[in-house]
Amino acid sequence: MNNTLNNTDLVKKSLRKRYFKERLFRSLGLVSIATAIIFLLILLADITSKALPAFSQTQLELTVELDRDRLGLSAQPDEAELMAADFRLVIRDALLAQFPEVTSRRDKRELYTLTSMGAEFQLRDMVIDDLSLLGQTITVPFMADDDVDAVIKGSIDRTLPESDRRVKDQKLAWIETLEASGQIDTAFNWHFFSSGDSREPEMAGIKGAILGSFYTLLVTLALSFPIAVAAAIYLEEFAPKNRFIDFIEININNLAAVPSIVFGLLGLAVFINFFTLPRSAPLVGGIVLSLMTLPTIIIASRSAIKAVPPSLREAALGLGASKMQTVFHHVLPAALPGILTGTIIGMAQALGETAPLLMIGMVAFIVDIPQSVADPATVLPIQVFLWADSPERGFLEKTSAAIMVLLFFLVAMNAIAIYLRKKFEKKW
Amino acid sequence: MNEAVMNELVDPTMNARSNPETEDSLNIEYTDTVGQPLCEKAKIRTQNVNVFYADNQAIHNVSLDIGAHEVIALIGPSGCGKSTYLRTLNRMNDTIDICRVEGKILLDDENIYSKKQDPVLLRARVGMVFQKPNPFPKSIYDNVAYGPRIHGLTRNKSELDDLVEDSLIKAGLFAEVKDRLHAPGTGLSGGQQQRLCIARTIAVQPEVILMDEPASALDPIATAKIEELMNELKENFTIVIVTHSMQQAARVSQRTAYFHMGRLIEVGETDQIFTNPAHELTEKYITGRFG
Repeated sequence: MNNTLNNTDLVKKSLRKRYFKERLFRSLGLVSIATAIIFLLILLADITSKALPAFSQTQLELTVELDRDRLGLSAQPDEAELMAADFRLVIRDALLAQFPEVTSRRDKRELYTLTSMGAEFQLRDMVIDDLSLLGQTITVPFMADDDVDAVIKGSIDRTLPESDRRVKDQKLAWIETLEASGQIDTAFNWHFFSSGDSREPEMAGIKGAILGSFYTLLVTLALSFPIAVAAAIYLEEFAPKNRFIDFIEININNLAAVPSIVFGLLGLAVFINFFTLPRSAPLVGGIVLSLMTLPTIIIASRSAIKAVPPSLREAALGLGASKMQTVFHHVLPAALPGILTGTIIGMAQALGETAPLLMIGMVAFIVDIPQSVADPATVLPIQVFLWADSPERGFLEKTSAAIMVLLFFLVAMNAIAIYLRKKFEKKW
Repeated sequence: MNEAVMNELVDPTMNARSNPETEDSLNIEYTDTVGQPLCEKAKIRTQNVNVFYADNQAIHNVSLDIGAHEVIALIGPSGCGKSTYLRTLNRMNDTIDICRVEGKILLDDENIYSKKQDPVLLRARVGMVFQKPNPFPKSIYDNVAYGPRIHGLTRNKSELDDLVEDSLIKAGLFAEVKDRLHAPGTGLSGGQQQRLCIARTIAVQPEVILMDEPASALDPIATAKIEELMNELKENFTIVIVTHSMQQAARVSQRTAYFHMGRLIEVGETDQIFTNPAHELTEKYITGRFG
């Protein structure tokens, strides 16, 4: 009896210590989660605040006179003639009409930089779409130059002394005049989502990189998914247990840890130099990334297949299903959620991969939007890298905007992974 | 999968024994099987069967005949090799890489371990019901229809419907599930799931049904239903059942075989085994002195 009492006391004594340890561990856990969330929020807030200006674009409303003679066009111009015509002239005329006091060559040249280099193409495309505009006088919201954009968005401080300011007093005065007359406004930057890269920040868009990433991932998925799932099924279900198979397993695990740039070098040496596939193309990028993604998907698929309860296989085998039928009718469907999750995680990794693609030339400056997997292209993370590397102020916001687009796709892919897992999950 | 199955089959008690009673039993000289291991109208004949897991011998020289349309119960303590023996009868042990079978197993006088024998065909003739109910994560209908579908047993949908219904009726499950044939089989209760597994097995119309402790995961009411079912099934099938419950063996079987340490100790009429066992080990087991 005495002994029992003693035990109760001892347990009570130790309880306090145990509960203290538990509380300590819990609070440590909370602190670490809070830290992680705070850093994530800081990162997102920083990127978003920097990126938001990129989604709007300053426009300069000018009244242009589309005079056939001034443009050197015939009465019924064909497209080739229109492409060759110099629409810059009428825009310059419009600017000069706005500021008649500008007369010197130098000042004129400065004045012409108020609109973007893209303004003439904007006007040309309008005329090609609607020939009846020729001969009319129309008011067009032209894309403003990145300096004007920066002044309007406030990223160039107007109060600084002239010597410290990128936009000089004279130009600033013009901008303020236009602003006062209500000719400057901002609109949603559709251009950012509908065009390729450019040397001019206001003209640079992300569509080329998005499509480049899309084609690259398409090639990666088409190659790595079937190969990886087939490899996983063979290794898990059919392979004999011997040294050779063990050796292959170890090497697959090692492959997952190989630095990605090494795959880039391999791609350069084998696919481009030896097989002479096109440089900078999503085709080669996709092949290289699928080499990288393969081990990830194989490992995920194998553990998903391993997790299928043996009773399911026995049930099928016991009914006289062949090995192949057992695998394809029962094991694979049961393992599918895990396999798909692994695949999408592998794809998300591939979407964010930069280093190997640098080696195969996807870092080139490419203006055209890729039309197929064989066209030169770049991908989202490399677009981020390229813009972050550019000196123009306007690219700063584009960089953050591109990061936002990249993060959006990553989050979307992870959401799809979760959805698929929930959808295909079955209980037994 | 193979390791998991192995762990289930190779019981540690095979090598390390702590029970003093079993320690004693080791001193008993092993002779041949006592009783009548042979029978005249045998469906399956096993002759001098040895089974090894790598270097570990799980079954020692077992010879036993399984008569047509009889229910034979295999009893014995855990790890005595009765499940392993059962699994040699439809070559389920093939799925375990390190498992090796020696001796002859004849189904209708044809060696099932010969090169000519296709294990897929064998398993269509010798069906199996497992310890834990393991319906496919599909509908009740698809569970039963799976076997006939892969073997191409029916020519059209209505034939298949009839076969599924017939199998469910034979398994005593039809009345309970006829309104929800397309509901998932995994949503049934444990006893219903096990009867679904039996329906699934008889839908393939095997000649022999192997049952590996089919009622061990079920409550007494569900167990009673399964036992009742076995009595009806023996009209059409030969049944080999492994069970831990001696009452169950006594209730359902005509013959009983007692396994001990991988050896077949005694075989005989069920009544005789339970009332008047010939071997000392059998007597100790059925009187509950070890096991």
